[in-house]
Amino acid sequence: MHIHTIFRVLFILAILSKNQAIAQDTSLHDYLIDSEPWKEVVGGQTFTDGLCTDSAGNLFFTDVKNGKGVYKLDAATGQVSLVHDNLPGISGLQFGPGGILYATHNKEQRVISIDKDGKIDVLVTGVKCNDLVVTKKGFVYFTETPTKRIHCITPDQQHRIADEGHVTKPNGISISIDEQTLAVSDYGGKHVWTWRIEADGALTAASPYMTMELLTGKVEAAGDGMTTEEKGRYFVTTDLGVQIFDPMGRLSGIIAKPVATGKIVSVEFAGKDHDILFVAAEDKIFSRKLKVKGYFGH
Amino acid sequence: MKPFSLLFLALTSLATLTAAPQDDQYVLGPDSLPKEGVPHGKVIAMDPWRSKIFDGTVRDWWIYVPAQYDASKPACTMVFQDGGKANVKDSKFGGSNNAVWVFDNLIHAGQMPVTIGIFISPGSFPAADAKEKPRSNRSFEYDTPDALYSRFLLEEILPEVSKTYKLSDNPEHRAICGASSGGICAFTVAWEKPDAFRKVVSHIGSFTNIRGGYGYPSKIRQTKLENSLQTYNTPELKAVLESRRKIRVFLQDGTGDIDNQFGNWPLANQDMAAALKFAGWDYQFVLGEGTHNGKHGASLFPDTMRWLWRDVK
Repeated sequence: MHIHTIFRVLFILAILSKNQAIAQDTSLHDYLIDSEPWKEVVGGQTFTDGLCTDSAGNLFFTDVKNGKGVYKLDAATGQVSLVHDNLPGISGLQFGPGGILYATHNKEQRVISIDKDGKIDVLVTGVKCNDLVVTKKGFVYFTETPTKRIHCITPDQQHRIADEGHVTKPNGISISIDEQTLAVSDYGGKHVWTWRIEADGALTAASPYMTMELLTGKVEAAGDGMTTEEKGRYFVTTDLGVQIFDPMGRLSGIIAKPVATGKIVSVEFAGKDHDILFVAAEDKIFSRKLKVKGYFGH
Repeated sequence: MKPFSLLFLALTSLATLTAAPQDDQYVLGPDSLPKEGVPHGKVIAMDPWRSKIFDGTVRDWWIYVPAQYDASKPACTMVFQDGGKANVKDSKFGGSNNAVWVFDNLIHAGQMPVTIGIFISPGSFPAADAKEKPRSNRSFEYDTPDALYSRFLLEEILPEVSKTYKLSDNPEHRAICGASSGGICAFTVAWEKPDAFRKVVSHIGSFTNIRGGYGYPSKIRQTKLENSLQTYNTPELKAVLESRRKIRVFLQDGTGDIDNQFGNWPLANQDMAAALKFAGWDYQFVLGEGTHNGKHGASLFPDTMRWLWRDVK
């Protein structure tokens, strides 16, 4: 006669177990391949940054200190070419709807878009922009590290400050796979913050949702570039390596840096199947094939 | 031999005999099920709670009010993590650990005080697009070893329940219970606010390194009186120490519990129990053979309540 009650208990337990099944599912063994270590794919730069990909899996990047513009590492040939000249000092790149490339042009303190013909539109000026993400609906979010701000540019090119003051040094930025949550890494703290993305693009419910591991003796994780994997895990470059968080904000593991010393500042999945993880490590870019793919919304 | 050990032995012997899967040995006894002639308390569904402390979250919750509740006398309180939604239409609805029936039976028998149960789910952030799923805030609220969740209970939930029901503010009259991350959360609430909560029940508690909660054993060890002077070295901290040492803790885990990148649950719970023993706290630890579920904890729950509330009539 109490079968209902017992079933209900079992049902609740099943939910608890399911949560834990997700937890157990997040070990590094689930995405690293032993025979695929980091390897150098681009060298001879000064300070690589701005990694992003397109639907074909080509990798785009900049040399933020000394480059001429936007470079492409071709997914098919492995060749590097300069695809957009006369744009030095870009720190963040990201494709949006319709194959438009968006860039945080840090050196010129502006955010721009570049269409397929190379025509440039200036979206915002007078901002110390760092990194950006573009939603499927065409909202652009970018970080402004020194002012503690996250900005939003709507699809009709209205610009507003979406958050200010929560993150000490907002730096890397990424989005959940359902595009309902925005995530920003703190270069000057230990959290990756999240917000709910409202229908009009506004950010609400700021929360220090993920806690990054720190080097011994440090209080800042140096959270930098971010990307999202297709199952919803967030990848964040830090002092300690690429830290990975599951969608519930739990640290799943840390992929060691390709170089023992030196910074990694940008991370992206690219390659024709979007299953090769690239990191920008100062004068070089390294990559390694993973068992998982990146999320690519466009 | 204590009732616990007897029950435990009986259950393990049964398991050996029947060779059932390791969790099936844990079944609910008569005190966890409705009994003839026992007055049944009220299960009241509450409106979804929109938190200010966990800004942007919404959560389900419900309360249990025993039939013996008397508005002229402050009632004891017990909070349950992962409370879920009340099914008020189902006359058999028992909540986690069948607590509704356990409370009915034990309060009627005079084996625990008149206690209002608050069953509350972790928050979630609803997606702006109704087609998408909400994002769970459970790990942030439960696994983080800090004061935020206790503040949420003390500043938002208890005051809301107190609008309708008279609750005792004596910390000995307040208990908190949870499973897995909800279990470490129960301990964290008492640890952070020992002047508000002094009774803890943790089933399959996640005292592992999800968000730093594996640090508790060493912190508990520092509350041993002979070892506490370095840590609790001001009058304020000495008061905290005194209060923490009055926390009563019930822990349950199973040897088949999780072993993963966050830690080993059975070892972590044994480490907690060893620390509580070392520091001389009032605790009980039951290590069974189960896996990561609440069956064993639920089967023990009536005895757990008798032990937990034994000082309150």
